[in-house]
Amino acid sequence: MLRQKSWLIVLASVLMLSLVLAGCGGSKKNSDPNQLTFMFRGGPDEQKAYNAVVEEFKKDNPGVTVKVIQTTGDQYATKLQAAITGNSIPDVFFYNPADLKAYVNSNILLDISKYIENNKEVDLKNMWADGVNFYRYDGKEVGKGALYGLPKDLGPFSLGYNKTMFEKAGIPLPDKNKPYTWDEFIKVNQELTKDTDGDGKLDQFGTGLNVQWALQAFVWSNGADWIDSTHTKVTIDEPKFIEALQFFADMQNKYKITPAIEQAQTLDTYQRWMRGELAFFPVGPWDLSTYDRELKFDYDLIPYPAGSTGKTATWIGSLGIGVSSKTANPELAAKLVTYLSASKEGQEALVKSGVQIPNLQDMAKTWAADTSTKPANKEEFLKIVTEYGRPLPGQYTYNAEWYDLFFTDIQPVIDGKMSAADYVKQEQPKMQKLLDRAVEQDQKSKK
Amino acid sequence: MKTKSNLYRKEKYFGYLFILPPVVGFLLFTLYPALYSVYGSFTDWNGLGQMNFIGLDNFKDILTDDFFYKSMFNTLFLMIGIPIGLVISLLLALGLNRKIPGTTTFRVIYYVPVISSLAAISILWQWAYNGDYGLVNQFLDLFGIKGPNWLANTTTVKPALIIMTIWKGLGYSMLLYLAALQSVSRSYYEAAELDGASGFKMFRHITWPMVKPVTFFLVVTNIIGGSQIFTEINIMTPTGGPEYSSATIVFYIWQKAFDNLQMGYASAMAVILGLFIFIVTLIQFKMNERSSFDVD
Repeated sequence: MLRQKSWLIVLASVLMLSLVLAGCGGSKKNSDPNQLTFMFRGGPDEQKAYNAVVEEFKKDNPGVTVKVIQTTGDQYATKLQAAITGNSIPDVFFYNPADLKAYVNSNILLDISKYIENNKEVDLKNMWADGVNFYRYDGKEVGKGALYGLPKDLGPFSLGYNKTMFEKAGIPLPDKNKPYTWDEFIKVNQELTKDTDGDGKLDQFGTGLNVQWALQAFVWSNGADWIDSTHTKVTIDEPKFIEALQFFADMQNKYKITPAIEQAQTLDTYQRWMRGELAFFPVGPWDLSTYDRELKFDYDLIPYPAGSTGKTATWIGSLGIGVSSKTANPELAAKLVTYLSASKEGQEALVKSGVQIPNLQDMAKTWAADTSTKPANKEEFLKIVTEYGRPLPGQYTYNAEWYDLFFTDIQPVIDGKMSAADYVKQEQPKMQKLLDRAVEQDQKSKK
Repeated sequence: MKTKSNLYRKEKYFGYLFILPPVVGFLLFTLYPALYSVYGSFTDWNGLGQMNFIGLDNFKDILTDDFFYKSMFNTLFLMIGIPIGLVISLLLALGLNRKIPGTTTFRVIYYVPVISSLAAISILWQWAYNGDYGLVNQFLDLFGIKGPNWLANTTTVKPALIIMTIWKGLGYSMLLYLAALQSVSRSYYEAAELDGASGFKMFRHITWPMVKPVTFFLVVTNIIGGSQIFTEINIMTPTGGPEYSSATIVFYIWQKAFDNLQMGYASAMAVILGLFIFIVTLIQFKMNERSSFDVD
């Protein structure tokens, strides 16, 4: 009896202790006015660059300590979520603009407008309007209202071509000011898809595009989209969309300008491009340092081929730097954000590492005009940012589940086993169901 | 009772003190989160803000969720590797239990994957399975076979993952089998030999029953581990494979919770998975009870 009782007492006290501990973990707050935690993600090059810039920030702000938490890209979402759930959100952190609505509705992000807009050191007009608008939200629409962060960078997803290959084949170089029509694009690709060493096997291809990242250019330039302007209806079953998707699949199955089905995954086409076996391949600013080191041929940027609208299209990616609504030092935290995103010193260091384009327009113009670095037509990146780039469709909605589903099921279309028309008929209701749910979640979370 | 000495009481409290850390650890990091997620499964929690109680809605939704069934099926399918792995590791253990030169080296070689980081291994295998330049296809090429792009093909992605998990688990199972084999007394074999038993009969009637507890342990832990397979999937097929053909249930839970802001829904699936594992393990224990016997 006695034994049992004392065991119970121990158990009870342990339970209490654990609850107390759990409680502590939750309410732990950083009260040191000169300390910040900064959580970010990136590859080794980026981590090095950001650590260096943070060191600079500390030098410019004596007495301030910045605790840096860094992870690789694939672990970041989980870690950030855990931090949020555990109520120990870092003061300053990277976040995906697609999460903006959810984070603001759930009071995770701080409105930093007053620290940015009244700050003499920040020239918002000198920053890309699109980049800043990615992080504005008025409670209804993204792109308007208060600022919930600034862009880490903008990622204009451009199209590159292998200049050396064109010259060798004696084909006129593509015009950087006038996109190919789809027909022209196919024709050039077919001319460049060939067996160069005479062993009976193709070893040079026109292109090899990953559907998840390149289909947007074809759909948009054909005047179609995944979602309507109210962001509540999935519109993939419209004829213009079907036409674009079918054209995309036909590049492989009908026109045979890409490596065969089994080899058409990103990694492989990426490697083929690096080896100089592809004529056209997407180029993002994050690739530049690698291409500089590894490519043995000359390349340059052009607009994506244009569909029925005659206008080229592509997307811009971005990653935001936001401030936690629970931070003890909002002003200092906002200062770090502006330092990383909008200051000349910060941007210079980050751009030099070769993984992004400058956030500041004047700096970007100088950078683009510098013809000593490849690619020569860096201007194309800036055109995407200022003129024709768009955010990915999943960014407008509470979550991107509906949009992701489109790519989860798409392989049979790309392999030519299913027509685009059949696919969208089957997929639209499923995606609509998920989108409805996202809209519903959005409304609920606003309460 | 009253006769218990002071010393005894003191000792008892020290005893509790010593087991306190693991008990607290269990309560804090296992029981509390588990109960929390059971609670979460009845809410529409997005993982960020407040939780609203919605009763059984999540569970109702799961019943009609095709991806839930698909990922559950994939998880079970990948478990095909468990019996295969056990057979191979038992054979290996039998081989390495003989007195031939170099066994220590082989034991080490087979054990290396066990201590390596799962993430690193996944990346290496991802390269090996690469359709164009991968080691696997280069090897097949020697025999004139054109290998597929393993991880990008609905029919080959699961076998590819199974092969990798078998390889990864071999060393661990082999080591346990080896320990079990070495504890079998030689006298049984000598007696059987005198009775004229063949090698296979000796295996069937002596070795197999003697290593049965290890087999039971491995089957139980492998099924629990197999139900929770995630890292390999997340690294080797970050989108869940072509047409979601390699997405496991934990992968799906993770996607819902962290990508799609549906922590409540994910919790509900986790609860179902937990119940599933509990029931399967219970059945195994019952079956083991029935067929076990004591050897003195």
